[in-house]
Amino acid sequence: MKNQRLFILSGLLPALLLVLVFTYYPFFKGIMMAFQEYKLFDLRNVHYIGLDNFKAAFKDPKFLMALKNSGYWVFCSLILQFMFGLILALLMKKQFRGRGIYQGFAFYSWALSGFLIGMIWKWMFNSQIGVINDLLLKFGIIHERIGFLSDPKWAMVSNIVANVWYGVAFFAIMLLAALQSVPSELYEAAEMDGATGWRKLMNVTLPYIMPTIIATTLLRAIWIFNDPAIIYGLTNGGPAGSTHILSSLMLDKIIYGGDYGAASAIGIIMMVILLLYTIFFLAVTKAEKVGDF
Amino acid sequence: MTSRKKLLATLLTGAVTVGLMAGCGNNSNDSTTSNANANAGASDEKIKLRMIESLTSPNRTKLIQASIDKFEEANPNIEVEFISPPFDQADNKIRTMLGAKEDIDILEVRDLNVAEMVNNGFVEPLNQYAEKWTDFGSLTAVAKSVGSVGDKIYFIPNGLYERQLFYRADWFKDLGLTPPKTWDELYETAKKLTDPAKNRFGFSFRGGSGSTGTTDAMILAFNGPKVNLEDSMFTTDGASVYSTPEAKAAMELYLKLYKDASPPDSINWGFQEQVQAFTSGVTGMLLQDPDVIQSLTEKMQEGTWATAPLQTGPTGKALFAAGGAGWGIAANSEHKEAAWKLIEFLSSPAENTQFSKDFGLIPVHASAVEDEFFKTGPYKTLLDMSNQPDTFVNYKPAFQYPGNAQWGQVAMESTQALLLGQANLDDTLKKWDQYWVDEKAKLKK
Repeated sequence: MKNQRLFILSGLLPALLLVLVFTYYPFFKGIMMAFQEYKLFDLRNVHYIGLDNFKAAFKDPKFLMALKNSGYWVFCSLILQFMFGLILALLMKKQFRGRGIYQGFAFYSWALSGFLIGMIWKWMFNSQIGVINDLLLKFGIIHERIGFLSDPKWAMVSNIVANVWYGVAFFAIMLLAALQSVPSELYEAAEMDGATGWRKLMNVTLPYIMPTIIATTLLRAIWIFNDPAIIYGLTNGGPAGSTHILSSLMLDKIIYGGDYGAASAIGIIMMVILLLYTIFFLAVTKAEKVGDF
Repeated sequence: MTSRKKLLATLLTGAVTVGLMAGCGNNSNDSTTSNANANAGASDEKIKLRMIESLTSPNRTKLIQASIDKFEEANPNIEVEFISPPFDQADNKIRTMLGAKEDIDILEVRDLNVAEMVNNGFVEPLNQYAEKWTDFGSLTAVAKSVGSVGDKIYFIPNGLYERQLFYRADWFKDLGLTPPKTWDELYETAKKLTDPAKNRFGFSFRGGSGSTGTTDAMILAFNGPKVNLEDSMFTTDGASVYSTPEAKAAMELYLKLYKDASPPDSINWGFQEQVQAFTSGVTGMLLQDPDVIQSLTEKMQEGTWATAPLQTGPTGKALFAAGGAGWGIAANSEHKEAAWKLIEFLSSPAENTQFSKDFGLIPVHASAVEDEFFKTGPYKTLLDMSNQPDTFVNYKPAFQYPGNAQWGQVAMESTQALLLGQANLDDTLKKWDQYWVDEKAKLKK
């Protein structure tokens, strides 16, 4: 028995070592760095500075702006991605000609990298040579080109549009899978009770797929919060830092500042926010069965 | 499970573990020890060099790889692994690899970060190697200066960048305009070329990454003879160049240039968008280094564009700096002799001249500039500029300051805030002044 346990343990050892080296070591190193002056261009001067990186973050207007933007970014992106994803899933649930091809097109954005999506939309949003301004002008919707990426009011909206386009596919895939599992008997029973399309959606479909909705919105909110790729590709946090979210600001601290201490402090703050959000979300949705995820 | 099966499974698990661990380790086993290094590829033992570039682009990587292939053919005992990270992440990747003491023998050091590399002890001084190099004598003074910190040379530039004006010759002809000689003329000309209704603008503005290329050029030109050419962020009186009334005048013109003659979106433009706008017929003037020549030649019709020298400030002077990146040896390299052999090959007049022609750079050897290729066409302006040293004054950029690498980001964000009206000019200049005063104080410590 003892030998068998030892054998199992030795079999797990390679995987355990890899997890330790690639997951826990960077994690604890990151936590340590948050309390250090750790700048890539001054590696000879690495030392502990206590909470200074955290204090500096909360005094930095860029950080406060990114904190506010993160909330806006997650809220708007999530709501719109979910809404359009649900509509798409409901449409695709119906049998129609060329459904497979249509599904392929609807889902392909999910296969692209966020940074690439940012780059693609950057050219489309370009106010001088971008197709979006050209089309809006052509159809008479606008009479002057809009600085989608140069005007801070539009820049965040542009990022959200690109992110919605990207994330709709995720919800469409997940919700379509859930919709296909709704038993047809439930609809038949609802119809016998005289329920219309809208009532069926509200009283049968949505309650039935609620566990999926809760699980996917929780996960997607965390991903949106953590993913700086689209913002990095589209506006790089600009103009004047107006479109930074916490994760893009963290990346910025590393790429342009080489400041791993400040970036790690932002990382820890993000982790705390996500933890609080998850606890709150699960507490609010406790009544629903969300399954194991 | 029988004991035989257990034994077999244990052996397999052990083998996999060892294999994984070997895979995670460095490649030092591929390389020989430093004994072999003494002969730098002359012995039978094979040396593997790891080389990483910074200013990556597909075309450039291909050209460098072709030169490496030639070198490997001539030196069968030296194998070169050429690493090309994506451009945006390259410098950070290099820093991280060096910081983690990974096996890197040759790295591309930039004028922007050489002081930082030296400060961290990442790069080896090349003086002892260069002294024995027969072609070192023909290296231009500018090339030597770009690759040096103090009296030590840390990298051999693989080409030099120098700014000039590219303009739409056909638009100028249609409107009867001549290339602007001063910054004021550039603004006036740009305004005449601007017609937003036709989606046409005079100036290919760059407000995103790299925006300091314009702000610093204007501020230095306006300060003119006041600038300390050896410590160009400061005047000869020791004040920062951003604290003078001339700096304010320069930035006032800069704001007008954006507002009246540049596409609004250009507040976020970097190199790609700036060049794309020029080649696609949205903008009429572009300030750039010669590495755009190839792209302009490919995308624009002959005769539609031409070049002119850099614009002067009110005192009749334009300050310019030749910049560059080049090959340095990592301080931790175990194959320094072999690494130098490759650098010597890549930096030879023949290789460097060809690379400069193919990629669009100014060669680093004085002899190469005599080549007819550089005396005509778009390169001619640059030679004309170097022939007028009283007007086009060469200065040493602030490469000795480790904070120089962050300056671009600091200046870009505050310039964008200024252009958006979120900050005023006086506060912005005060911020810039403070940045450099602090940098100087840190350097003195």
